[in-house]
Amino acid sequence: MNRYFYYNIALVSSLNLMLFVPYLLIHDRYEGAVSSMVCATFAGTALAFLYSHVMKVFPGKGMPEILSLFLPKFISVPILLFMSLMWLMASSIALAGYAVLINRFFNPDTSSMIVLMLLAGVCIYTSTRSTLTVMFVIEMAMIVNLPIVLFILFKASTSSNLDWDAIRAVAQYWKVPPKFEPFAASIYVFTGYTNYAVFNRLNPHNFRIRYRWLIPLICFLVLLISFFVPIGFHGTEAVASYLYIWSVTSDSLMLGYGFIERVIFLFLLLFLNLTIVYTTTGWHIAMEMVKSCMPRMKPQIDPARTPKANWFIASAFALATLAASYFLNEKQNLTITQYWLMLRVYVEVVMVFLLFFFSLRAGRKKLGT
Amino acid sequence: MTRFIRPLFMLAVVLLVVFAISGCGFRDIDKRFFVIAMGIDPAPEGQKGYSITLRLAIPSPKIEPGAAKTQVETINATTIAEAIRLLKSHVDKELDFGHCKLYLFGERLIQTDYNDSLEWVSRRRDVQNIAYVAIGRPDAKTIMNVEPQGERFPGNTIFLLFGNDGTQSSYIINEQLFDFLRRVGEKGMDPILPIMRKEDNGYVVTRLGLLDKRKLVAELNPQETEMYNQIRDRYAKSTITANIKGDTLVISIDRITSHYKIRKEGNGYVLKLRMNIGGIFEEAPRGVYDQDWHKLEQAFNDQVAAEAKRLLEKVQRAGVDPFGFGLRYRATHAGNSQTWKEWESIYPTLKFDVKVNVDIEGSGLVH
Repeated sequence: MNRYFYYNIALVSSLNLMLFVPYLLIHDRYEGAVSSMVCATFAGTALAFLYSHVMKVFPGKGMPEILSLFLPKFISVPILLFMSLMWLMASSIALAGYAVLINRFFNPDTSSMIVLMLLAGVCIYTSTRSTLTVMFVIEMAMIVNLPIVLFILFKASTSSNLDWDAIRAVAQYWKVPPKFEPFAASIYVFTGYTNYAVFNRLNPHNFRIRYRWLIPLICFLVLLISFFVPIGFHGTEAVASYLYIWSVTSDSLMLGYGFIERVIFLFLLLFLNLTIVYTTTGWHIAMEMVKSCMPRMKPQIDPARTPKANWFIASAFALATLAASYFLNEKQNLTITQYWLMLRVYVEVVMVFLLFFFSLRAGRKKLGT
Repeated sequence: MTRFIRPLFMLAVVLLVVFAISGCGFRDIDKRFFVIAMGIDPAPEGQKGYSITLRLAIPSPKIEPGAAKTQVETINATTIAEAIRLLKSHVDKELDFGHCKLYLFGERLIQTDYNDSLEWVSRRRDVQNIAYVAIGRPDAKTIMNVEPQGERFPGNTIFLLFGNDGTQSSYIINEQLFDFLRRVGEKGMDPILPIMRKEDNGYVVTRLGLLDKRKLVAELNPQETEMYNQIRDRYAKSTITANIKGDTLVISIDRITSHYKIRKEGNGYVLKLRMNIGGIFEEAPRGVYDQDWHKLEQAFNDQVAAEAKRLLEKVQRAGVDPFGFGLRYRATHAGNSQTWKEWESIYPTLKFDVKVNVDIEGSGLVH
């Protein structure tokens, strides 16, 4: 069960490249990105630790069940709907972003809407599966893709074209006090634990999360690499002029004796896999939250038949995603991502503390009885 | 009822996918022209814009020396994008830049201002970041029209020349597009470009052009280019020479390291460059085995150090920083807006202190 927890963390942290996190950090590279990253490490770790405590207190219960224990329905339902919107946005931004990326780098003659339609179609199917199946899908995707992620990261960070002077020059700006935007962008990397809002249903009674010290370690490393490697490849100044910064960085790498020369194709395929799995997870969580608001709906982790509601809700998500990407252009998309990342910080802090407060009360109740 | 709905639904999905595929721009490979090199020259006298020359590969089933066929197209237009669009109406197949490995700036263009032409190169998505960039002498068109004899497939000579798979020469410094763009933008490092010229029916690359942020400002001769390669890239497959009592001694290098520090001394800054070189004699007078190698090493140390210092001072006089000394200064000093201003005032008066330590490891196969 522990590995499932870390799959989620690894999935979300590696997806940060899709959500413009490096772009936003690099934008503020002289204005406090480095110190913000350090602050985010402490804050993100603290939140993750609090949250894992909550999960230990309520084994087998997702966030909807925990809320319904302590809050009346008319308060918990809006909260759940709002949370599901947050998850929906996260995954839809990533999916729409990827469709645009395909259009830019793979085939400019295909409209990104068609690509998005196909991707959304796949994600409707995958996200309507049972919670248990989705978890297995994450596991398989991580086992297949993480070696490739590590390969690309290894290849990039050992390349002789990496300019360490540029990296050090930017690191010299660590004294600049942190700012909220880069902080919000970098704390996203730590946020994988929140997926347990639904996946906690899978956990048995005597469940414990071990090796929690891995969280700051993995996430901080991911953060450092996704920020500093592009700077090493494109220098301290030119790096800020690229939109799809990691795609361009992977294009600067060459596989000398591989079957393909441009790493970018490997990179894009890898992120196709990761984005689909991320969207699957996000939509699934959002769907479960919406479902839990309906009366008579019981949380099931592996029902024999897929409930009709799943199809309806996931299709609605897909339509919303398509509509959003039809009406928004690249620039608006980026602005929305930026605001979404900042809003996330508040929502997450409030949510974690609320749940933590409930877990304390539950603990006291247990002692009392 | 559900018995019919399900197959119908599946059919709808399949149809959707099929339509999507037909909408894709996948064009067969025999309907594409692969551009292998692109030359950018300023338009002829009296006209505005650019003269673009493309070298297009003609696919051939034969792979043997001399079998490579190419077609060269030149066109003038006010912008590069327009030139490419116009060129498409001169050829019968879709142009594809996915294999373009060389972007060549004509010497006249690079001597005036190259910034505008970079816009196209850096925005276009199918321009590879790992493509090579160079200066064409006397212009890009001449170089594009060279048809090397021994090419096994189109453009092979260019790939082998600049990549490390074919020839490995200490005079060829390959500059890739992403590095060029990095240097153009960077505070503390200036762009370099190898100069490619035509000789008989082939290419020669021995010299390095030094650029500032707008244009070409100086040029390194082959010896200086090799020295640059040794200092900056620690290029081991090279040689050092020294004149001792009228004899020319050449050492082929096995290992080379170079480090530098920027230190404040007195009221000025000094750049301390240390090089450690080890190798064996490749050319030396008979009897070198019996001489005092320590003395020979000493002579090498002094002469190589003097050569390196001359190069550093030449570069400094040209007012450019191809080694990235400024970036090193920024990397080792407090990060704020003052640091860069400080360096700008330091560099013109920077002093160089070069020490070379040559280690002779053997005399080759003979005494």
